[in-house]
Amino acid sequence: MLDRVLSRKRLLELVDELAHARRIVGPVKQNDHYFYEPVDRADRLDLDFSYCVYGPKAFLLPPTQTLFRFKQHAGTFETTPEHNDEPLGIIGVHPCDVNAIRLLDHAFANTHPDEHYLTRRRQTFIVGIDCPGPCTEGVFCGDMHGNEATTGFDVMCYPLSRDDTGGDVRYGVVFGTDAGREFILYAQAGDPPSVEDERAFERYQIEKQAAFPQQIPYGVDTLPDLLERSYDSLLWQATARRCYSCGSCNLSCPTCYCFNMFDEQELALGTGERKREWDGCQLRSFAEVAGGHNFREAPASRLRHRIYRKAKWVKEREGIAGCVGCARCDRACTAKISSVEIYNQLAEER
Amino acid sequence: MRPRIAIFSLTSCEGCSLAILELEDQLLSILDAVEIVNFREGMTERSWDIDIGFVDGAVSTPEDKREVEHFRECCTKLVAIGACACLGGLNTLKNYQDEDEYRAYVYGDCAKYFPTTPAQPISAVVNVDHELPGCPMVKEEFLKFVTFALAGRTFKLPEDPVCVECKKKGILCLYEKGIICLGPITRGGCNAICPSYGAKCEGCRGIVAEDALKAAGVNLREQYDVDLADVLADVRMFGAYQEKTLP
Ligand code: SF4
Ligand code: SF4
Ligand code: SF4
Ligand code: SF4
Repeated sequence: MLDRVLSRKRLLELVDELAHARRIVGPVKQNDHYFYEPVDRADRLDLDFSYCVYGPKAFLLPPTQTLFRFKQHAGTFETTPEHNDEPLGIIGVHPCDVNAIRLLDHAFANTHPDEHYLTRRRQTFIVGIDCPGPCTEGVFCGDMHGNEATTGFDVMCYPLSRDDTGGDVRYGVVFGTDAGREFILYAQAGDPPSVEDERAFERYQIEKQAAFPQQIPYGVDTLPDLLERSYDSLLWQATARRCYSCGSCNLSCPTCYCFNMFDEQELALGTGERKREWDGCQLRSFAEVAGGHNFREAPASRLRHRIYRKAKWVKEREGIAGCVGCARCDRACTAKISSVEIYNQLAEER
Repeated sequence: MRPRIAIFSLTSCEGCSLAILELEDQLLSILDAVEIVNFREGMTERSWDIDIGFVDGAVSTPEDKREVEHFRECCTKLVAIGACACLGGLNTLKNYQDEDEYRAYVYGDCAKYFPTTPAQPISAVVNVDHELPGCPMVKEEFLKFVTFALAGRTFKLPEDPVCVECKKKGILCLYEKGIICLGPITRGGCNAICPSYGAKCEGCRGIVAEDALKAAGVNLREQYDVDLADVLADVRMFGAYQEKTLP
């Protein structure tokens, strides 16, 4: 069921309005690729984008971030926490990335609420743009159900039709939050959906179903069991001999949320900052603990760990899939190690 | 007591020593925190009672060898800075050429007055406590090293390859443009400066781990249609001394 229909032109006007109150980030084309970038005007956004090379994660969980500042003087120790509560609007988020953010939300709110993430997230407004078909070759979001988002956005826009002459798109809009509803309705933007609009939306959904080819023939629901039985497979070693342990798969993944913490001191030593930075389980020192012991020393054990996280453990722990099928890991891997291929090879081994 | 610091140069362009002077904003606080007692690029007085000695340049002549042995005796801690001192650097390219030819090329008729030896990193000659690689050395890493030394913290080089920094900066991987970049096998910490400007990583911070070099051999053979000799030439540019031929 749609809540509203809206032209893209009108949507971009609303985004320009939003820009008075928020920093706006969205897909911008650079040569042949799209990246999430801050923009000052909505018309710099390209909402026809296929996919962004990296997800919008960096705006919620920055690659490097100060957690608090510390100061030592006359035997006292003072800390000042640092939170970023600048209002942010991320415009043009595909369902995979919406679902990835949902997982981050859960992971950072669950067990140890992380105020640094949560403060930013509370100040973030998300406009989703649905994908009528695969954005590029090799994605398996259809298998992972990453290509459908039902929550995690403020509004989601479904491109129902396109006027090829003027290039304007008619979006069917679904509200995800009250803020999303207000965003559209306060401005009285767009129209209530007509019966034809609802029919067009039904057709859209059916065509979308057909548009995503199945990449994991045995089905993702078989993966947890498959992995359970594949712990000792020779495939880990055979594949990991190509692995650079470069972490590109982790760091380009919209669902990876691991980080490392460190202190940065000033030369005067009395002051400094506790920071955190992205980390990844494929990196050599990820599992190194005090005393220098590394409990995942071999590249094969690190590769297995990542694949287990993505298709089994995260789901078991958070109740939300650890992989949305965007294939950014596969594209980022200069050794051409592909997670889909690993799933399918393991299934065939059995 | 402020630690007594010295900065020495062997066979090199001395760019790494200059990089220290380029820390303009922090130079005064460094001078507050340490006492520089021996630095040819920056001062005339000399002392040989040294807590931490930084050395740039490769050991490439008999004279270099004598000097570095002397530095070792005078310094409590000896730190190699830059690709030349840590890896042998560009100097090691001569190790693959004919000695008479390159000496004649460099010194002309006077060649006989300038004995040289195959270029080596200083760790091949004396015991080195720390290495700060890069061409030039990463000056922020130097600053971090000094800060850690003052605080009595254990300094460790980053063990992640350059790719990590590309991802953190959100830049497009050069492999997407069909360029073979040495980032996956090279020690990070340079803030991916070359890929940030669209240039492939040439490995100036050295090979990050032997297993990465092995993986490169396998990948370049099995996954890419490239001439291994070209890639090896790239690896050799800075990594000649550490070269374990691609498996
Ligand atoms: S594991 Fe790969 S496909 Fe899955 S969400 Fe991460 S980057 Fe995307
Ligand atoms: S991976 Fe799937 S959901 Fe994500 S942008 Fe591509 S088609 Fe859309
Ligand atoms: S991107 Fe590829 S080579 Fe790098 S750590 Fe991941 S699987 Fe290994
Ligand atoms: S450009 Fe080079 S260093 Fe950067 S991610 Fe790609 S391979 Fe790694």
